[in-house]
Amino acid sequence: MSDQQLKQQIKEMIVERLFLDADPQQMADDENLMENYEIDSVNLFEIVVGLEEQFDISFEDEDFSVDLFATVNSLAEYVETKRS
Amino acid sequence: MTAAQERLVSFESAGELLHGVIHEPLEETQQALVFCHPFAEEKKCAHRSMVEAARACAAAGWAVLRFDNRGCGDSPGCFEQYDLNDWRLDIESALECAARETSSAVGLLGLRLGATLAAEVAEDRPDVACLVLWEPIVDGERYIKQNLRRSIIKAMMTSHEGGGSGTTAAHTAGASGEGTVDFDGYSVGEAMREQLAEVNLLEPPPVYPRPVLVVALGAGEAMGEQLQRLADAYTMGTARAVRQEPIWQRIGVMDATPVISATVEWLRQQ
Repeated sequence: MSDQQLKQQIKEMIVERLFLDADPQQMADDENLMENYEIDSVNLFEIVVGLEEQFDISFEDEDFSVDLFATVNSLAEYVETKRS
Repeated sequence: MTAAQERLVSFESAGELLHGVIHEPLEETQQALVFCHPFAEEKKCAHRSMVEAARACAAAGWAVLRFDNRGCGDSPGCFEQYDLNDWRLDIESALECAARETSSAVGLLGLRLGATLAAEVAEDRPDVACLVLWEPIVDGERYIKQNLRRSIIKAMMTSHEGGGSGTTAAHTAGASGEGTVDFDGYSVGEAMREQLAEVNLLEPPPVYPRPVLVVALGAGEAMGEQLQRLADAYTMGTARAVRQEPIWQRIGVMDATPVISATVEWLRQQ
């Protein structure tokens, strides 16, 4: 899977799981997710579960940081690291 | 307009008086449900949806008893005083109350841990008319882990908003001490934690012989592996995935129409 495909899958997962009224195609890789989509702790939990299920990865407790969830770029980088 | 009437009811469980509400259809019925509420903060979040579901079921001809377990809501005692065994007993007491008050065959409808306890009670009570399980907790260990995750994420967000680094979120969330777990502000002691960890609805496989509806609520149309396996494990199990925001995760008005409609549709077929 290419880097762009991974990012697109992450965007689609976020829109679907958070019931967002947004077009995944229009989401920028580097836009601030928390500010632009009013993501709160409930949403973040959904994103974590979605990433784990979709990409077969597992978050460790010490992985959690606001920076990780800041953008699609940072999420994609994390997924890549966990899968490698 | 709700084609039903509602009245308060109290009944004993292990010598303590539990409080609830009975929703009754205006016309006579021989069918009733006891609603089993979820755990801790999830109960609070889902309260409105559970009331709406009770009214919808009553409008469809099913009497419903909603009640609070000991240590929860309007019932007596502190949350920390009770455990899963107490709450299973409360559900059994509620079944007897509902049968007495409505002269009906009584089924169970539960959400999250309430669904799990309903399923466990039904294993020893084949007289339970039917089971409706909304997103039951199938694996207790996983449930504990998910709740710890929520606490870590909340701590991370709080730390971030307060200008902290967020890197100590895991330590903050897990620092309840003495084996205690923080379930969104509810203190779950070691004994309760052990009971939760032992929960496994698939092992041993369920033997409850009557109709069961297992409902998955979420963004997609898929059941999820665990809930599908659970539905398949029942001899009369039906699996249903409903596109529905999780009604147990957020305080506020949530539209529970999809899961309520799916449930009422299934109940009408029973």
